[in-house]
Amino acid sequence: MKLVAIAGSFDKGSYNRMLVDFMAKEYTDLADIEVLDVDQVPLFDRDLDYKDFPQLVELNAKISAADGVILATPEHNHTTTVVMKSILEWLSSDVHPFQDKAVMIVGASYLIQGTSRAQADLREILDAPGVNAIPMTGNEFLMGNCQDKFDENGNISDEGTVKFLKGVLAKFTEWVNMVNGTGVVEAAADDWKNEDLTASGKTDTTIDVDMMSKDWVNQASAKVNAASDRDYVKLDSGVLSVNQLNWFLKTMPMELTFMDDNAQFIYYNHMLDRDDMLAPRYPWQTGMPMSEVHPERAKDGVKYVIHQLRTGKKDLVEMPVPGNKLNEKWIMHYYKRMADDNGQFRGINEWVLDLWPIVKSYLDMTGQKLVQDPTKAVDAEGGASSSAAPATPAVDASAGASEEEATPAPAAPAVDASAGASDEEETTTATPVKPVQVETTSVDTAAGASDEERDDAEKGIPDAADEAVDTDAGASM
Amino acid sequence: MKHYIGIAGTHAKGSTNTKLINFIQKHLAGKAEVELVDVTNWPVFHKTENFALPAGVKEVADKIAAADGVIIATPEYDHSIPASLMNGLAWLSYGIHPFDNKPVMITGASYGALGTSRAQAHIRRILDAPEIHARTLSSSDFMVSRSLGAFDDEGNLTDAALVKRFDALFAEFEVLVEVVATLAEASRVAEADAEKLAHEG
Repeated sequence: MKLVAIAGSFDKGSYNRMLVDFMAKEYTDLADIEVLDVDQVPLFDRDLDYKDFPQLVELNAKISAADGVILATPEHNHTTTVVMKSILEWLSSDVHPFQDKAVMIVGASYLIQGTSRAQADLREILDAPGVNAIPMTGNEFLMGNCQDKFDENGNISDEGTVKFLKGVLAKFTEWVNMVNGTGVVEAAADDWKNEDLTASGKTDTTIDVDMMSKDWVNQASAKVNAASDRDYVKLDSGVLSVNQLNWFLKTMPMELTFMDDNAQFIYYNHMLDRDDMLAPRYPWQTGMPMSEVHPERAKDGVKYVIHQLRTGKKDLVEMPVPGNKLNEKWIMHYYKRMADDNGQFRGINEWVLDLWPIVKSYLDMTGQKLVQDPTKAVDAEGGASSSAAPATPAVDASAGASEEEATPAPAAPAVDASAGASDEEETTTATPVKPVQVETTSVDTAAGASDEERDDAEKGIPDAADEAVDTDAGASM
Repeated sequence: MKHYIGIAGTHAKGSTNTKLINFIQKHLAGKAEVELVDVTNWPVFHKTENFALPAGVKEVADKIAAADGVIIATPEYDHSIPASLMNGLAWLSYGIHPFDNKPVMITGASYGALGTSRAQAHIRRILDAPEIHARTLSSSDFMVSRSLGAFDDEGNLTDAALVKRFDALFAEFEVLVEVVATLAEASRVAEADAEKLAHEG
């Protein structure tokens, strides 16, 4: 996030300047803050042209380009400063870079008031039609007794204040996202939590049979009079008997699992007994909802992956499992989005396989060796820190009714499923902001609003109607 | 006859506030002397060594200090008084206190309907600040709205009712001037505080 900061004083030793310089230096993890100079800005005069003053031209350009603006105001005579007001007058006459711009107000004062009045006045000014900024509500920062608050290097000496200010700035970054519409994306980042793993709803393929029954396959087949054995099914593109389908699917070089769009586990290709499988499951587990075939600690990860695929944010999620060994075993889980002809989500195709034998056979065939790429750091476990090991929506036989000892299941699922997952995955742990429709100011031609515009017109906002009223006044410019 | 200083908040060409203060000066001829000064052409306020003031500031300050009161006509820029007027007041309170206990009448003209109401509210607060410490009359906003059509060719306010209102407010203002003159000998409660104050930056 790119922010610019302006202090309402160019005095040497200005504490408000020191404050924004500190923010720019200290909080680089929150935003890239550029402090702008204001010492060459002339007193606003509507008879002058801002383009004749390079610093004004730069201020306009930089503010326009920034995601948000930080204003640090001293307090002079119970209000903001001449410098601050003059800049705002310039930047609300011929140009309007503050229009719909997220703004944060801070202030440092020698006295107890901490610029309280200056900040209040500044808010009123930012509200004016020619400015039309969007200052952050609440989240005030007032620094009193500023002469005691900084060390000789211009750093705020009190840790508590540094932390507090960081919190306010963090709030401002959320405000910026909200104002700029990027906040809506942030809020949606929490939607994954709503994924229903219990299959409490249904889809148009749901078979109305007790999901928890250990005999679900037979019951469900009977319910829908399913084709079996020598019955043929027409596929795209071919015709196979059910027996042929089974031979075919069971000789795929990977374990295949079908989760439907209602989060129900309805098929796997049962090529091996449970104990020999890479992602172990029992035949009697087929038919259960996702919630019954994953341990509690895996559920967040399951929800997250399902959500990514359901919404189409991702088409494929790849995850290595913990316990892999470099050049010995590299088990991967792939979750592929399935969709119908309309692109609607119809479930997840999960396939699991060990990549190492494939790589090894390739190396043998081509007579090559592997070397570590010195520019990349990959740990032996799976390319991720083990503390954030990926969850797997794979059926985990250690959950539910298994009487056996739990298999070494994946470690606690992290919300941050980017650990070990493909690089494309983006996760955010930022506190999401509620999406708010930010309305762009529309020109209101009703009497009240246009009068507001005209009140300001003395400042020089051209208004043709005014010119018609009084030709003697010279141009209203 | 009382002697007042008249200030327009901007020197912009064609300013209706300049028109307003000119009208007030003319209208009060024979009743009160209004001397116009320009406070809007000084450099942008900043701290200086030893509170050194730009050329012309001290002269205006002395005139204000000597006058019975000040009449200000302010435009409204962005819901407040213009930076040019803020600037004048900033210099006129930088190590000097010509406004101390000075009666100030506030007027303003705007192109639109609101008549500088917010600017006047702001300037009241500014004039209230310790380093200025002026005396304003309460409930006495004199506002000229739709100012581009409010004056005739001779620069007179055409709305008779508005002129009457000005006269009534000015009469109250003169009472304030008398009262303040009487209080002038009383000690300043805030004097000690003002001495401690440095301009913040």
